[in-house]
Amino acid sequence: MSPPTFAADSGLASCHTCGRLGPVADGRCRRCGAKLHLRKPDSLARTLAFLGGAIALYVPAMSLPVMRVSGFGGGEDSTILSGVVTFWEMGSYPVAIIIFTASILIPILKILALLWLCLAAVGKVGGSGRKLALTYHVTEIVGRWSMVDVFVVAILACLVKLGTLMTITPGPAALSFAAVVILTMFSAMSFDPRLLWDRRRHTS
Amino acid sequence: MKRHHHGLPWPRLHRSEDVACEFCDAVQKAPRLREGEAAYCVHCGELLYQNRPRSLSRATGFSIAALIFMALAHAFPFLTMSAAGSRNELGLIACARAVAADGDPLLAFLCVVFTVVAPLILIGGILYLCAPLMLGRALPGSLWIARALQRSEPWSMLEVFLLGFVVSLLKLGHLAEIRFHIGLWALVAVVVSIAGATAGIDRRELWDRLELANAR
Repeated sequence: MSPPTFAADSGLASCHTCGRLGPVADGRCRRCGAKLHLRKPDSLARTLAFLGGAIALYVPAMSLPVMRVSGFGGGEDSTILSGVVTFWEMGSYPVAIIIFTASILIPILKILALLWLCLAAVGKVGGSGRKLALTYHVTEIVGRWSMVDVFVVAILACLVKLGTLMTITPGPAALSFAAVVILTMFSAMSFDPRLLWDRRRHTS
Repeated sequence: MKRHHHGLPWPRLHRSEDVACEFCDAVQKAPRLREGEAAYCVHCGELLYQNRPRSLSRATGFSIAALIFMALAHAFPFLTMSAAGSRNELGLIACARAVAADGDPLLAFLCVVFTVVAPLILIGGILYLCAPLMLGRALPGSLWIARALQRSEPWSMLEVFLLGFVVSLLKLGHLAEIRFHIGLWALVAVVVSIAGATAGIDRRELWDRLELANAR
């Protein structure tokens, strides 16, 4: 098999929207009208910027209360972490595990994975192409499931309105946490996996 | 139409068209596929595109089903909870309204986008494109709609909402008397139908067919 040729070397770009291969000199894709770029514009800078925002907002998302439970005996605030601990101690292991995975494990792993991909794209860390591709796919697919805790808060706020007995309202961390998930999703979308292969081509 | 020419690849405008892998940028000939086959990059092994069986009929059928179930999911509550003399209903809009009433309108807006607007754009868009394509036609604004539905796909989070619903139930547990309603089963059906519709047709096939239909 002859060695492959690469689109960018001959000034061709596949459209981000429709996938059609066209000369980047055209400016816009002839099929769908989207702008053509050899690589996603400012891919690394944008990925890191969104990631920085996500890391910054992760602090209030974890430390502020995600929901407030008020009733007879006054109010009680619960953070994401205290919620996990409470359910673990109550013996509701499935709930504790789901919330821990979706709200704590996945966001942290996703942020680390994107940092690793950015480092790999500039050649600071190695890694086989397959492993990096798998990392990229997993971060893309799994990220949105973190939103589950936000929906739990919304559902409980809707259902638990029992007058003076017990009322649940969303806390400030709910919005920060939603923002963390949204920012990491934008971050993953801004990352261009072709950068991983460009690196290997130019070094080999 | 593909359904009547079983085994034929979907039409490609330029027979010798090349594709570039969107992962490693390697240029290669786009192989014609039989239904059910997939093409992988010769260089890095990533999936290039798939020829989904009976793509247009599947995408159309599932998106019609999803729209009907979506209407039902909005018309009926998912569950009612009775405790301490009060009774609360759960629905997608009711959820967002409760959050807004509790003083977090931005979060309520996000809930509406993720559970109502994005799924609607996604599924409405697939129907708007695929149903006319069965007759080889494209309706006005098809390019714009195709772009919009592609953008909305990652933000359509009804299946995540459903998981959130299950977690909430486990959390509430024995707290109250809970009754399930038609809306809930409709929501489950919406999630299944959306998955069926989006998996029904490959992105490149959709764009190739749109190009062909628009050129007529």
